[in-house]
Amino acid sequence: MDVKIPNEVMEVIGKRGIKEADVKDVVMTAESAKKKLKSNGRNLAKKKIGDVTVYVDYELEKGILKEHANVKSAYSHRMSLGDIVNATDKTNWICVHCGEPAMAGHVAMTYMQVTRNGPAVVCQKCKDSWVEEYLATKTLAAAEGLFEKKRA
Amino acid sequence: MGYEELFPGMDMKWHANATKRFATPFVDVPHDRIDVDPIILSHAAVACGYTIRDFYEKPELGIHCVGYISHLYDLLPVTHWFYSLPWCRELGLTLQYKDTLPPISTGPIISEPGQTDNLRVPDVNELMKGHTLPEFIRMYEYVAKNLPMTLVPISYGFDLVGAAAELCGVENFIMWTFTEPKAAHNLVKTYTDTSVNGAIGLANKFGMAMLIVGSVLANNDIFSDETVKEYSAEYMKRYVDKAFRGGAGPQLFYHLCGNHQTDYKVFKDTLFWSPFTVIHIGYSGRDSFPSALLEQEYGNRATIMGSVDTKLMINPNPKVVYEQSKAQILAGRDSPKGYILGTSCETPPYTLPGNLLAMVKAARDVGTYGTW
Repeated sequence: MDVKIPNEVMEVIGKRGIKEADVKDVVMTAESAKKKLKSNGRNLAKKKIGDVTVYVDYELEKGILKEHANVKSAYSHRMSLGDIVNATDKTNWICVHCGEPAMAGHVAMTYMQVTRNGPAVVCQKCKDSWVEEYLATKTLAAAEGLFEKKRA
Repeated sequence: MGYEELFPGMDMKWHANATKRFATPFVDVPHDRIDVDPIILSHAAVACGYTIRDFYEKPELGIHCVGYISHLYDLLPVTHWFYSLPWCRELGLTLQYKDTLPPISTGPIISEPGQTDNLRVPDVNELMKGHTLPEFIRMYEYVAKNLPMTLVPISYGFDLVGAAAELCGVENFIMWTFTEPKAAHNLVKTYTDTSVNGAIGLANKFGMAMLIVGSVLANNDIFSDETVKEYSAEYMKRYVDKAFRGGAGPQLFYHLCGNHQTDYKVFKDTLFWSPFTVIHIGYSGRDSFPSALLEQEYGNRATIMGSVDTKLMINPNPKVVYEQSKAQILAGRDSPKGYILGTSCETPPYTLPGNLLAMVKAARDVGTYGTW
């Protein structure tokens, strides 16, 4: 499968410190394992690479010979996601692995040996969770900074 | 002369210690003792010789009083200043300053349910030209210049139901929740989304904005658990979710003031929780909300803040304050995500210093980390 990353997306992920190779790795891993979220043609995949969880938001487009992934965005967070705390509201996401709707809820998040709760999209059947872009790039990024400052 | 010239400088050694103490519940590194936050507002001004009116009319003076008095009482190393009706002027209310009260509304602007269909949420640019957001920005710029080590830009969604109810009058609002629910929802939704835009405006300016939002009018003295969930908890979640999407947070303070004897349960799986969340509940019936119950219900969700009955703070009996503080700390100090001792709501303007110091003494006596 080809993974296409438009120039404007390359610029954004470069600013976020994410490597092109990691983006491709996340997509390829998700497609082979069928572990991702899906909603109206969008796909959200994640993979833990080192201490960082990298996410890729992409669409699949059928070519003449094979499909390719058209990357819309990529982002990351350093907090580790743990057990699901609750699942409260419906979302538009479907967990491709089990076919069940994913829910908005909360999971345990660990960073610098501190575990607290934070918002996530969760699949209760697979016991898996994902963080959406606005939360990873704003809320969790700021929270990680606060942990670093307060633990210093 | 600027207000900053009225106060001695802050002892940076004290501030460094208080900052480490303040971090304890959030990062699991115990330092010193349980923190005490009696939600000081105009008491700070009164203690410095100013009036309640001064506190609210002159935010820069008010917040400097809070910073100065917090230092002297050995409280939190951060400053705050607020009143209960932010963002209301932008929706058409007129507020008036009083000698003995925070700003209050001169009266409702909506008398018929149908009028709520015409409400419009001001966008961030409009709020920048309003009253509340420029006032907060001006005040935090003052803090950034004169008390920078205490600066935490805070946006107050505050009492989403109570403030919305002011638009039509509290009695009308309560009645409409039964007879005109669409109008009641229109009011809370409009106020909530206006507060969201205020939070986003503040985050745009300072790069972050802690969120404080409460359930005050919506409590068990007035509403059923289901109504508290429908009109308060659900909109608190909406406020935080939308404000986070706009770049505010990640710190959250949930303030459940008033009697939450049974409705405390509805917030647990409705609210939005971030890694830096504090939840505070004032009363259960007429009594301070038990810290043991607070820990049982919310100890695994967030840092919890227990309560000493605010009525005690003006009663000339520091022993009673001490004993209640001690009992609450003993019941809550092992909460897994940390414990703070507070008062049930804002400590009264004429709080007796001996009572406030009794809270601090209790925190030192039974809340010093490593001694239990």
